[in-house]
Amino acid sequence: MLSGSDTVYVLRYFDVIGRAEGCRLLLTAANASWTEEHPEWPAEKANQPFERLPVLVERSNGNEWILCESLTIERYLARVFGFMPTDLKQAALQEQMADQQADLLSAFFAQLTATGDMKSKQIDEFNTLFDRMVKEHGRILSRSSSKQHLFGDQLSYADISLYAFYKLFIVYLKCYQSDIAEIVKSKLTPEIINLILSIEKEPQLAPHFSKCDTMAAIFTAKDF
Amino acid sequence: MSYILRYFDGIGISEATRLLLTAANVEWTEEHPEWPQEKANQPHGRMPVLIEKDVDGEADFVVCESGSIERYLARKYGFIPADLKQAALQEQLRDLMFDVNHALAGRLSSRCKEDRVESEKKFEDLLALVIKEQSKLITSNGNNGLLFGDCLSYADIVSYGFYKNLLQSVVVLLPDVADIVRTMLTPEVVNLISVVESDPKVVKHTSKGNSLAVAAVME
Repeated sequence: MLSGSDTVYVLRYFDVIGRAEGCRLLLTAANASWTEEHPEWPAEKANQPFERLPVLVERSNGNEWILCESLTIERYLARVFGFMPTDLKQAALQEQMADQQADLLSAFFAQLTATGDMKSKQIDEFNTLFDRMVKEHGRILSRSSSKQHLFGDQLSYADISLYAFYKLFIVYLKCYQSDIAEIVKSKLTPEIINLILSIEKEPQLAPHFSKCDTMAAIFTAKDF
Repeated sequence: MSYILRYFDGIGISEATRLLLTAANVEWTEEHPEWPQEKANQPHGRMPVLIEKDVDGEADFVVCESGSIERYLARKYGFIPADLKQAALQEQLRDLMFDVNHALAGRLSSRCKEDRVESEKKFEDLLALVIKEQSKLITSNGNNGLLFGDCLSYADIVSYGFYKNLLQSVVVLLPDVADIVRTMLTPEVVNLISVVESDPKVVKHTSKGNSLAVAAVME
């Protein structure tokens, strides 16, 4: 662990799952000292370096350091706390998964907001990309020694990122599109569902579930 | 070690990758697969794809996703600092540039005037943030035209690729974008573009085609 024991983190975001769940899970898994701030919005917009959230504030030895952009924050925390492999190739394989997930989120919003002739085209694109991603996750999992982790036998950035992604789509995005959880659930294989539920049971993540529900109750026997 | 970059035959999102490969001084070529015929054959169903070929006959290493490709090459060839905080400051700037591109994609897919106006505003607001941050960094770096330190960095390289896409590529689909960008550029960012363009590490690539430094200021 590269951060000192007197380092504290503040995650600034809205009080929703949104784009910050990966950051929350990383800080939890790292057993870091951290809290969350929910700035008044848009009143506090101009006070953020990039006028956007999330923002990570790191305080150590009287110094304050600030980082923006959800994926950069995730990769930084993953590296600080040892969840990102130091081998560059292994790191790239995990980073590309997170990037792919971000693409899927963009594709979701593109199909949601599309109108006219673009609508069905964007829906097709979203479904094609999603199915391809699930296939890729399955391929990686089939090569993993432990079916409870994507890479190796310990919790990694890729596992945390995957969990946050599925939580986003299955628990949160229904506020934008009511049927998205069911659409996504129908695309998942038993192996992926098992992976999601295994990650959830990681002892390092236990404190996270004192504040929110697990997804275990969402997947019933008929999903497997 | 040699590389194949699989992408469309155009500037697009891959110019930064081309520049990084050039700056790394490695052997590399490009493939322009038939599209969309080859879509299903790509690991993520999209491009770019980077293939790293090892001379020792080991299996090819394949990376997808433009951001991951850039960061892999930049770390491997020393353009991203080893210090995690310094690295993160460069990455956050690049992620903000990706956000600008997403806003522009939103503008391209807008079908009604209301959506077009909204996405154009989002694009301009985000671009303004990028330019403001870059100008601030260049100034506090001593105005040598670079964003960080004294040598060409990942942030400098991807910034050049970012502006090349806006000023010399997107203009084909959205003619007014180049003018909007030009009016927003600060002298600091114009200087960044010029300094990167003439850097010995990338000049072999930047000297192909029309000068971006000229395009950044021309009427």
